[in-house]
Amino acid sequence: MITQEKYRTRVKELLANNSVKMVIGYKQGSTADRRRPLFVRSFEEADELVLDSNCIGNLAGYLVTEGLLSDEKRVGIFLRPEGIRSINILAAESQLNTEQIIIFGFDTSGREVKALQGEQAGDFSGLIDSLKEKPPEKSSDALLYRIDQMNTEERFAFWKDEFSRCIKCYACRQACPMCYCRRCIVDSNQPQWINTSSHTLGNFEWNIVRAFHLAGRCVGCGNCDRACPVNIPLRFINARMAQEVFESFDHYAGTSQTQEPVLASFNKDDSETFIL
Amino acid sequence: MSEPFEPKIIAFVCTYCTYAGADLAGTSRLKYAPNVRIVRLPCTGRISPMFILKALQKGADGVLVSGCHPGDCHFTHGNYHARRRWMVFRSLLDFLGISPERVKFSWISAAEGGKFADLINSVTEDIRKLGPFDQYKELIKETETPATL
Repeated sequence: MITQEKYRTRVKELLANNSVKMVIGYKQGSTADRRRPLFVRSFEEADELVLDSNCIGNLAGYLVTEGLLSDEKRVGIFLRPEGIRSINILAAESQLNTEQIIIFGFDTSGREVKALQGEQAGDFSGLIDSLKEKPPEKSSDALLYRIDQMNTEERFAFWKDEFSRCIKCYACRQACPMCYCRRCIVDSNQPQWINTSSHTLGNFEWNIVRAFHLAGRCVGCGNCDRACPVNIPLRFINARMAQEVFESFDHYAGTSQTQEPVLASFNKDDSETFIL
Repeated sequence: MSEPFEPKIIAFVCTYCTYAGADLAGTSRLKYAPNVRIVRLPCTGRISPMFILKALQKGADGVLVSGCHPGDCHFTHGNYHARRRWMVFRSLLDFLGISPERVKFSWISAAEGGKFADLINSVTEDIRKLGPFDQYKELIKETETPATL
């Protein structure tokens, strides 16, 4: 509550002296424990701002909305640490200029909300470095453990079952702050890489491609997983990709705005064991 | 069912090394398994994972991707980029249950006609042992009927 009041005041302050044209935050959602994005342009709207442990969505994706940042005015945004990492990646990929972004950083533990020190993306580098140092949590998730124990055929059967439910709504893509391509691979029909129908084959391919495009870029915010209407555990696939680039290339997505995208760079000493 | 299974393999190769190597194998009159269909591309860096998926989607039992040895790339570092991509892509396939054994990678230079012939033989043999990619073919068959939700 204290953090919420503090940030509300700060938002009003910035709006009052025209430092920002808009602040992207959270407001009450359709049920008591849901929050939805709020785009604050006035004092009245600032009073609707909510900040608590239910604010879990990563709002970073709204920043790459076409035209939002092109007037070079500043925009404020409420972000968790992984959201700040998203900002760094978007900056590294030349999608935005971090000087235009005022960050209201926060993190939660249990029901408690604490504010993060700093307002510019660069201010949080210490925090993000400390996240990288923490060993990637060996997931206690029973399902992931089960997948790890499966052999290739069982895995195929497992994912076939999961993907057969996919209806190709592309909510995972829309919810993802990293999916900003103007023309997605599935929207192009010359050539048509993936069938548009929701057959399991195409669903498989879509999810492979999506995961691959997010390799080394996904920060694990969970937006896709929450957006999926048929509850495909997308987080596992993305987490596996993050683990792979971390182990193979010591790459932790979004540590700084100058970080090289992992699949657009290389090291002559990258070592593999499978090339004949 | 007395006929042995003949796998269908698609090879994506770079024009400067592996394709030239395949040419050498041909001009040297080396014999190798006829199961491989070669697709020539400018560089391994040009090979998108979509190509591999498309090959499987069209009924291939295995895919071979081959290019210049590290340091030999005509474009100086296309194959380094490709190597990273494959490392990540392989682990993704593995996690999703598409056997990485069906997707092979190799470095073959323009001077290695013999290696090319040997590799094609061994890859064909490996895929033959794995058998047809039935799991995937089932999915392909499914697409012949309208999708159900």
